[in-house]
Amino acid sequence: MNHIPDEMVSLLIESTQQVFETMVCQPLGSKTPIEGNALRPRSNVVGTVAFTGDRCGMVAFYSTTETAARIAGAMLGIPAAEVNGEVADAIGEITNMIAGTLRTRMNDSGSRWAISVPTVTIGSDFYTTYVSDVRRALCPFTMSEGDEVFVELILTENN
Amino acid sequence: MRFLVVDDSTTMRRIIINTLNKAGYQDCGEAANGRAGLERLAESGADLVITDWNMPEMGGIEFIRAIRANAATRELPVLMVTTNAAKDDIVEALKAGISSYIVKPFTPDTIKQKIEALLAR
Repeated sequence: MNHIPDEMVSLLIESTQQVFETMVCQPLGSKTPIEGNALRPRSNVVGTVAFTGDRCGMVAFYSTTETAARIAGAMLGIPAAEVNGEVADAIGEITNMIAGTLRTRMNDSGSRWAISVPTVTIGSDFYTTYVSDVRRALCPFTMSEGDEVFVELILTENN
Repeated sequence: MRFLVVDDSTTMRRIIINTLNKAGYQDCGEAANGRAGLERLAESGADLVITDWNMPEMGGIEFIRAIRANAATRELPVLMVTTNAAKDDIVEALKAGISSYIVKPFTPDTIKQKIEALLAR
């Protein structure tokens, strides 16, 4: 199975860092991306945005509930402890902006996609799997206070 | 000065309204999609509309076309805030009748500058 092109992974990392620096006011440090079906991160909040066109697949955002609340609080300008029902909407919007920024950057190099509305799953003890052959690259990031978040790019095999 | 912020994300509506409030604009209405936005405009009007593109029920492009088709709102300044930033997207939004365009993610300064430029027209 082919790897995801390095250019796409680099653009995903840059897009994620841009979204966080601008909307969460947090610089994100990136670690080496993990290719393939290695163990997925432990997370309770997963945002996903699907895309279709010249490329088909999905962008997924993973974090713990606590980190998601800190992200939502930073976006809304309130302490994380005061975040109540806003986590799902905030993580959906973060995922939407990451996928949208990646889409725009890929469009600049001639790849045209449409993206879906975001969906967010919140819970515990769940595992995301794919029924068809896909290529996966998982990008780990560290926020300034040590919180880890992960963004995954999934491409269907016909790309 | 009355603003109407139309976005299906409550987070994004609050971010934009917080930015407007900090810039001294306190009269801000909100709606979750274009259809609700048209109802708010009919009820209470606005001096400037800020709208998302992708929304359920009625998206931003259809919303702007409806604003431009109504004699009462034809000249209303409309600022679109969206992740759709490819050249084709911007052309489509301009054809629909937007007054200006901001790409997400954005800084508060970007919104303030765009609004001030629109209000100065």
